Amino acid sequence: MAGLAASFGSGAMTNSIAELQDAKVLFVIGSNTTEAHPVISYFMKRAVRKGAVLIVNDPRRIDLTRWATMHVQHNVGSDVAYINGLINEIFRNGWAREEFLATCTENPDEIRNAVKAYPVEKASKICGVPVDTMKKVARILGESESASVCYTLGITEHICGTDNVKALANLQMVLGNIGKYAAGLNPLRGQNNVQGACDMGALPNVFHTYQPVDNPAASAKMAKAWGVEKLPTKPGYKMPTMLRKARDGGTKILYCVGDNTVQTEPNMAHTIEELKALELLVVCDIFPNMTTEYAHVVFPDTSWGEEDGTFTNTERRVQRVRRALTPPGQARSHWWVMQELGTRLGRDLGFTSGRSIWEDMRATSTSLAGITWERIERQGLQWPCPTVEHPGTPTLHLSGKFTRGKGLFHALSWIPPAEAPDAEYPLVLSTGRRLWHYHSGTQTRNSVGLEAIFPEELMEISPSDAAAMGIRSGDMVKATSRRGAITVKAWVTDRSPAGVCWCAFHFYEACANVLTNSAFDSVTETAEYKACAIRIEKVSDGVPVAPSVSRQARP
Amino acid sequence: MGSMDIEQIFSAAIEREIEANQFYAGVAKSAANDSVRQIFTELARDELGHKELLERFKHDPTLDMRIAAPSQDFKIAEATESPRLSIEMKPADAIALAMKKEQQAVEFYRGLARSAKDSVTREMLESLANMELGHKHRLETVFVDIGYPEAF
Repeated sequence: MAGLAASFGSGAMTNSIAELQDAKVLFVIGSNTTEAHPVISYFMKRAVRKGAVLIVNDPRRIDLTRWATMHVQHNVGSDVAYINGLINEIFRNGWAREEFLATCTENPDEIRNAVKAYPVEKASKICGVPVDTMKKVARILGESESASVCYTLGITEHICGTDNVKALANLQMVLGNIGKYAAGLNPLRGQNNVQGACDMGALPNVFHTYQPVDNPAASAKMAKAWGVEKLPTKPGYKMPTMLRKARDGGTKILYCVGDNTVQTEPNMAHTIEELKALELLVVCDIFPNMTTEYAHVVFPDTSWGEEDGTFTNTERRVQRVRRALTPPGQARSHWWVMQELGTRLGRDLGFTSGRSIWEDMRATSTSLAGITWERIERQGLQWPCPTVEHPGTPTLHLSGKFTRGKGLFHALSWIPPAEAPDAEYPLVLSTGRRLWHYHSGTQTRNSVGLEAIFPEELMEISPSDAAAMGIRSGDMVKATSRRGAITVKAWVTDRSPAGVCWCAFHFYEACANVLTNSAFDSVTETAEYKACAIRIEKVSDGVPVAPSVSRQARP
Repeated sequence: MGSMDIEQIFSAAIEREIEANQFYAGVAKSAANDSVRQIFTELARDELGHKELLERFKHDPTLDMRIAAPSQDFKIAEATESPRLSIEMKPADAIALAMKKEQQAVEFYRGLARSAKDSVTREMLESLANMELGHKHRLETVFVDIGYPEAF
């Protein structure tokens, strides 16, 4: 979001999900769409059936490559070099949209000059993509009347995540692909409501609808609306800083909502030590998990099916959610827990329902002020929607104007991942999510059906690496990084390129985040989940399986 | 104003467009931000276009000036506070200022239309109000793209 906001002024998807099916070219990078965003992947497949060119850029042979026109396997963590090389080739061939650059962007000559340092021959050596392939991709993008770029955590979960996003913003501006139907730059946001959580101000530096806490006018407006004399104007800590400061007393209390911190933060052993150092850890969740183990207080929350409110999906669409089940036992809506806490701390927050909170937000909102519960009774609305007369905004920047006025180019240099493979830890570990499980598994591992379909984690190892280590699918292996070790079943598969292993963080028994590196992007403090160095050792033989035997759950 | 004839109405409307053109051209020169400068330059050009349109109607009585209201009125100008004019204005402020001016123009012509003595004059003034409403609508559409920056 930070990279996109720096380039455009807005960090959300520029276009809508349904537009993807009408794209002429789909450039998907760092997104395992069929597994992490399966519904959106249907729109991509529909585009392919209608004749779209689908370019999947991913070090791994992910499932989406089965529908791809081209699968470009760039090296883990080489995105800036790869994209700079493409932009260089686009300029070199005169495919840049000069009129767009002149009228809609701020510093086009800066990017024109900066990418001269990345001719495809040089970029190819860094990213591992053959020169001819890079030239072909650049030609497809350059000659197409429009292209849609989609990305996810494969782009952002690097120490250079912000730069990776800025590189994609550069690419789409050079191609004039912003402010067009079925084009744009589209971060596919996580979970069902990450966009909504950000919109509501669940960030350390903004009130709802991205009004900065250190802006005196915004702060005064909120103070007046909420009936308090003044509000803090100093931005809070981002999560890694919050946790790090637990060890020196800078963070005394952590109130953790629906986030299984132990399992989802990098370097699990380190995270546990940080949580143990807190004076008070309060955890609100729907089931006991690895983090509730360390909590002093646990509040049982309602699950999504027991809640009345709104979710805002990745295309900025605010949708109503209705309670379908009565919450079991002591489970309560989280707003109710907050209200009760406020009362006990001497402050009536005035929360009486999900709707009352929405109205409280709307009264001081900007881009969401026109979205009432009546208007979204049957169909959600996409922000910006500033007045009740406004129909919502499926596509941003159609007027040729960016949220910041003109689009801003950033000159970028490639930097390698924080931890490179070496003699002791010779393999790259990349991590992510599987179709059948969700985040740390607090929900899905309590679902009998999903647990039956995919009951244990697998370490994906390339055939050549596996052969060199005498490992076969089903063998138990020990994966070790500088942070810790897990024992996990091996899956020998050409989904992984040589030198790269992959596993997820859904299973606490064999969690990727025991191994991952906590080095983070300096702007967003997002950790480099996608690249660390490990070694693999065989622990024991599995049951021999004939190579032709496959299982549906392991494509 | 109620006794104005058609020609006087056109003259007054043209004068408003000239004043707007001069205002935008002036602030374009002093704006510190490149985007703001461009926005005000475009607005100045637009106002010149509006002036030329009105002059055609004024000088050619065979032309029938009937301008329908745009199909939608987002009322964003009405919900937005007018920003203070300064050389440090942000792009969103520039658009906000312009759409507030168009809102004031709509209200000006609608006020005159309400006090018009005859139906021909009233229809003419309503058409002018609708023209300004169209300008407001266009600026509000731009404002939606530019007016809600996200801080990260």
